[in-house]
Amino acid sequence: MKIFHIKTYKLKIVTVAILTIPLIGSLSSCKKDFLVAEPELTLPEGEAFANPTRILAQVNGLYFSIKSGAFLGGRYLIYNDIRAEEFSNRTSNGVTGLTVYQGTNVASDTYIARLWSQGYITINRVNLFLKGMADHPGVVTQAVNDNYVAEAKFLRALSYFSLIQIFAKPYLLDNGASRGMPLRLLPESNLQNNGLKSSSVAAIYAQILKDLNEAETGLPNTQGDALTNTTRAHKNTAIALKTRVYLAMGKYDKVIEEGNKLVTQTAPFITVDAARVGHALQANIVNVFAAPYTTSESILSFPFADTNIPNTQNQLGYYFNVGNGNLEYSLNITGAGIYADPSWTATDARKTGLTATSSFSGRTYTYPTKFKGISPFLDAAPVIRYAEVLLNLAEAEALNPGGNLVRSRALLDAVRKRSDPTYDFGVLATSAELLAAILKERRIEFLTEGMRYNDLARRVAPIPSFGAGSVSIPVTDPRYTFPIPLQETNTNPEVNNM
Amino acid sequence: MKKLVQSLFILLFIATSAIAQERTITGTVTDDSDGRPLPGVTIRLKGAKGGTQSAADGRFTLKVPSGVNALEFSYLGYVSQSKNIGTSNVVNIALESDSKALTEVVVTGYGTTKKKDFTGSAATIKGDDLKDRPVQSFVQGMTGQAAGVSIIQPNGLLNNPPVIRVRGVSSISLSSFPLVIVDGIPFPTTDASANSTTNNPLGDINPNDIESIDILKDAASTALYGSRAAAGVLVITTKKGKKGDARVGYDGWFGVNNAVRLPELLNAQQYMDVKNAALKNAVALNPNVVPASQRDANGNGFLPSYNADGSLVDTKWYDEVYRTAYSQNHSVTVSGGTDKTTYYMSGGLSDQNGFLKKNTFKRYSGRVNLTHQATDWLKLNLNMNYNNSLNESPNSGSAPGAAFNSSGLGRIVVAIAPNVAPRNPDGSYNMTVNSVGNGANLVPSNWAHPTVLIDKDKNSSETNRFLANLGADFKLAEGLNFRTNYSWDRSNVENVRFLNPFQGDGVTPGGRATNQNTRRNNWNWINTLQYNKSFDGVHNLNVTVGSDVQKTRAENWGSTRDKLGDPTFFDQFQGTYVSNIPSGNSIDQVSFEAYLASVSYNYNGKYFISGNFRRDGNSGLAAGRKWGNFGGGSVGWSISQEDFFKNSSLGNTVNNLRLRASFGKVGNGNVGAYNEYTTYSPAIYGATPFAWYYNKAGNKDLTWETSTQTDIGINLGLWNDRLTLEADYFYKNINNLILDVPQAPSKGIPEDLIAGGSILANVGSMYNKGFEFGIGGLPVKTDKFSWKVNLNFTFLKNKVTELDPTVKQLIGTTGGLESASITKVGEPIGSIYAVRTKGVNPENGRRIFINAAGREVQYLHQGGVNAWTYLDGTVAPSVAGDAQVIGGTLPKWYGGFNNTFTYGNFDLNLMFTFSGGNYIYNGSRAGLLDQRFWNNSTEILKAWTTPGQSTNIPRTVYSDNVSNGSSFAISDNVEKGDFLRLQTATLGYKLPKTLVSRAGINSLRLYASVNNAFLITNYSGVDPEISTNGNSTLSSGVERNTIPQGRAFTFGLSIGL
Repeated sequence: MKIFHIKTYKLKIVTVAILTIPLIGSLSSCKKDFLVAEPELTLPEGEAFANPTRILAQVNGLYFSIKSGAFLGGRYLIYNDIRAEEFSNRTSNGVTGLTVYQGTNVASDTYIARLWSQGYITINRVNLFLKGMADHPGVVTQAVNDNYVAEAKFLRALSYFSLIQIFAKPYLLDNGASRGMPLRLLPESNLQNNGLKSSSVAAIYAQILKDLNEAETGLPNTQGDALTNTTRAHKNTAIALKTRVYLAMGKYDKVIEEGNKLVTQTAPFITVDAARVGHALQANIVNVFAAPYTTSESILSFPFADTNIPNTQNQLGYYFNVGNGNLEYSLNITGAGIYADPSWTATDARKTGLTATSSFSGRTYTYPTKFKGISPFLDAAPVIRYAEVLLNLAEAEALNPGGNLVRSRALLDAVRKRSDPTYDFGVLATSAELLAAILKERRIEFLTEGMRYNDLARRVAPIPSFGAGSVSIPVTDPRYTFPIPLQETNTNPEVNNM
Repeated sequence: MKKLVQSLFILLFIATSAIAQERTITGTVTDDSDGRPLPGVTIRLKGAKGGTQSAADGRFTLKVPSGVNALEFSYLGYVSQSKNIGTSNVVNIALESDSKALTEVVVTGYGTTKKKDFTGSAATIKGDDLKDRPVQSFVQGMTGQAAGVSIIQPNGLLNNPPVIRVRGVSSISLSSFPLVIVDGIPFPTTDASANSTTNNPLGDINPNDIESIDILKDAASTALYGSRAAAGVLVITTKKGKKGDARVGYDGWFGVNNAVRLPELLNAQQYMDVKNAALKNAVALNPNVVPASQRDANGNGFLPSYNADGSLVDTKWYDEVYRTAYSQNHSVTVSGGTDKTTYYMSGGLSDQNGFLKKNTFKRYSGRVNLTHQATDWLKLNLNMNYNNSLNESPNSGSAPGAAFNSSGLGRIVVAIAPNVAPRNPDGSYNMTVNSVGNGANLVPSNWAHPTVLIDKDKNSSETNRFLANLGADFKLAEGLNFRTNYSWDRSNVENVRFLNPFQGDGVTPGGRATNQNTRRNNWNWINTLQYNKSFDGVHNLNVTVGSDVQKTRAENWGSTRDKLGDPTFFDQFQGTYVSNIPSGNSIDQVSFEAYLASVSYNYNGKYFISGNFRRDGNSGLAAGRKWGNFGGGSVGWSISQEDFFKNSSLGNTVNNLRLRASFGKVGNGNVGAYNEYTTYSPAIYGATPFAWYYNKAGNKDLTWETSTQTDIGINLGLWNDRLTLEADYFYKNINNLILDVPQAPSKGIPEDLIAGGSILANVGSMYNKGFEFGIGGLPVKTDKFSWKVNLNFTFLKNKVTELDPTVKQLIGTTGGLESASITKVGEPIGSIYAVRTKGVNPENGRRIFINAAGREVQYLHQGGVNAWTYLDGTVAPSVAGDAQVIGGTLPKWYGGFNNTFTYGNFDLNLMFTFSGGNYIYNGSRAGLLDQRFWNNSTEILKAWTTPGQSTNIPRTVYSDNVSNGSSFAISDNVEKGDFLRLQTATLGYKLPKTLVSRAGINSLRLYASVNNAFLITNYSGVDPEISTNGNSTLSSGVERNTIPQGRAFTFGLSIGL
């Protein structure tokens, strides 16, 4: 009986041993790499600069970042337009800019935080890209390398300029002496460096100009085809942005210097350097805002596509259009709104071709149709148009001591008469009269293109806010600029110091 | 042989007592639960020698001498019972299945331990306590049943993942949800839905199949699960067959469900009066507040509409959104077994409807559990479970993150204008471009039409899950066992969403369909070698070594299709659309590998000591830092087993007295995949060029988050366990917290655009400490009447003791918009963060706020530069950024009070739950008092109107979204969360056996139950247990636009054949 038992045990042990072999086999098959799981759909940083294709993809990634609907692809433009007198809020929706409209936005508004973050993410992506290019020499040719680096710097300048305009006091208030924002030039991807004081407004402008000057040098004369010339920066793009920056600094001589690189002395105003991309006003402004959005007037605009949409509640068309748009804001057609201004005639192409009316719920709304595409809202988001360069130059010629008032008037007429050929400004004898006419022209010409607040701020003018009540907001009022978001002060308390 | 000896003894007893016999008693012994006869039950005479055993048909005959008044019945696995025989010669008895026998076993890490040998802290809930309830997941039924375990239903949406906390919040950024093990395999617990419906994977388990749930709480118990046990462990064991003929059971119930505690809203007339008054106040301050075209000659913008019969349109929007809902649940089981093989088979069908229209939950489930003793050294077991769960719901705005959804019904239904009709006279929807029609109102109401959303939108999430578990036990030698157990959990989730092109989020895209599919493969293989031996009868030793490997891979793919070809025809993904965009595509893979060892020893059941160790690897952590060592130990002393105690006078009363203590270290493995990698994401720039963009900052130093836990406990049993007490002190200290450390947005770290990006890192620490008590008793026990009571009570304190030095505080948001929660050092996690208010200025009706400097500031909406002023009228800065910590949202005490009464064939169960010491941010109230075109609660009727008036509601100014808390959180909306709830009340009646046996039925019980019967609380929101942010730890205790809880009446029956 005992022997029998031993036998069974032996049998058992053998059986178990046999069974265990595959078990141990599969256990050891786990081996070392059993615990290694690498992402399969995203690219580890070490491989990002591996070949020219990936580097070019990163350049495209920088544009993809800056044109996010949270930033220059949508919301930035919208906030700049709805702060002043041109629009009337229809929906009272707290997440579609109501507090910006009412002048009641606060540091805890998360959608302002989103704007700030998207700007700075773009800046950091540029910083990382510049470091990566420096660390991986020879993957692309020197010429291509210089082009890409210049494009990155251009986008960094555009991001800083866009942010400094709305989060800090205007340069002209005190020649840039006031608190600006943190000047981030180092690539960030770890836990260090949360704290960084703000630089002065002047210091930010200095960096913007440094980047733009270097960009002008490094950028190619042309990017090739019409689409790429419109959607990626080339030499003229950097120069055009410089006219905007110098205008905000009140450096009219520099505006003229840069503007002359792009504009002939007399009409017809077109670009002067045949080697570069040619720019000119379109005969009909409506075509600038129609597919394929690649006219020679569009110096830079950001494209969208079915697979690359501005995302929910960021789309320009959603805010300003009816149809599939939600008409968050309709034109203020009474009082101070530019729509009611007698100088904007009913026959102006910008009224006949770029505004419309629509009735629903028993009410009629007037709205701009520059972004008339319906969902998924693929209208390109404009950044710089040749018309702006002309008006920037016109303003500089009007204000620069000894400026060419005749050229100023001619530039203004060029923009106006393109859309309203029979209009006559009458006599504009003084620079002040010219300035007033130019500023008003900009309100008509750039409506919904994100210029309105900037045009007030760079003149240190109060904001005649419709949404905040009839009282306008003076430059000293805290409401004049957007508060630095709570998320920043929370993690970087030094941001309010300089 | 044993039986033969037993019978011989019994015969002997009968023989010796034969002389004094006076009468013969006959009767039948049955199983109380299903009425089946019980053979082999030992029946003894009380106070005399003699007895018998019941026969195969449960019948017995016994001669009883005079002087014997009672019989004692005992049977293994059943509660022994004494029965007075009175004068009757027939004694029928139903024995109750011994719940204690079940609770005397604790299912721990990789085996079971007798409760009397267990020195850790665990609670056990029987499956029987869950099955009568109209619940979707078994977790709901656990509410209030276990000390130290807090379970909250976030709202009344069906199959919503509950919020479970075992001894408090266990992590800040990682999940605080306990590890759930179902028959050996870690089970998913996060919402599987990708759209507005909720899909709780735990709802895939048929509650009827559950034998027991063991909740492991202290480190000594959980350390065997080491890496993933920081938040406690729920060990779910499903039912096995019992030896004997096939038993068939049917359980079914029918339920009715309604929404309760809905806020009382303004009717049409009140709405117009309130809004027009506010409009006039606003226009006086700013004529642009609404365009002139939106006011009539009298300055009114809200005007009456009339029905065809001339009556005022006064719409009760609640009726459009909520309903009385009916549900049913059926479950059939067949179980039985032979000496060698047991089987348990079940089929279940649950068809539930929520009080929110179109909210449904359907589950079909089938299970086979088999055990087979193949040889004397090999035992096999196999569990297989297939189920299909279909969840459907319109967008309730109640899923986490959805609080401010513009199509969220919980929000629309209270805010939409009551003076417009849902339908036009011709029966069509009263709607305009993406909103309800205005009726006569000049100021438009911009809320989407809720009826259209309910009728035309579709949201569903359907899971098909196959769960298999195959195990083998090899007996290598006496006391030495090898066990291998392979579990496979394979699930497919199909998420379907259609947004109609007429109202809501589908208008802008012109109709939108999004389908998303998840295929999840999860396997777990455990091998253990156990040595279990008793030496000399006093030295009891148990040694276990083993390995545990798990791998989970989920592949998600999907697409969004926009702009319907024919907007009035298609309402499904397969229709024709203009654009197709990929969406919801991702791949996730995580793996775990662990080696473990544990030793426990006790001397003669008096002195206990145990220790365990586990080494764990997790693929989600950084290279070189993937492995962690965990372990714990415990000691115990059963004083009641000591002779000196047994012999003392106390020993007569106190039958059990045990002291125990444990300490251990465990980890939190819920860290997810790929955290060490800094990566670039793919995109397309415009229509063509491909793009890579930097989109994630990884952390190459990321390692285990660990927690240490100390537990000191006492078990006390009095009068043969008629009264039991279990008390524990615990101190859980979480170190190396893995925190999603927010980075300065200006650094440009990607991912979360609101918070400005974050990086997972091991920083910070936090503790939970407290006491928990469980008292069980049987105050009354007679033949006819018994009262069983169970009270558990937990006191808990949580405090964050350290965060990243550069991070002063973490702000938690609700729905990505409202920042009402804060976590900072020295405060409990997820405290309320709001600007303090101090009532309303009686002179001018303006809300008074307290700024950061402590000064009183009043607010005038539309006041321009004078919007913010000190009380003396001088201009003050805005207080919007002056939020302060108001109070903690975690209950400081909570528990359950469970009473079961039986009287004859009736049984009554009353289960109370209570909780308190916490604050709730009632953000819904901010919406209910918002002065835009939104409807208000009747509380607005108390608004200030005349100088000198003392009230807490400010003067109404149209468009004011600041004074009442819409713009930023204010302390006026903070309320205490104390409550007492009658969670369930169940009345059951077991039909007399004589009646049912004629129909061939062994047992039949009918019951009626009410869930959420009543609630006593001062909280003014819909429910103090609401959790708008679901399982979030950083923003708990917030109610914002969430649908309420329901009250359910259930009628059911259980049949045993």
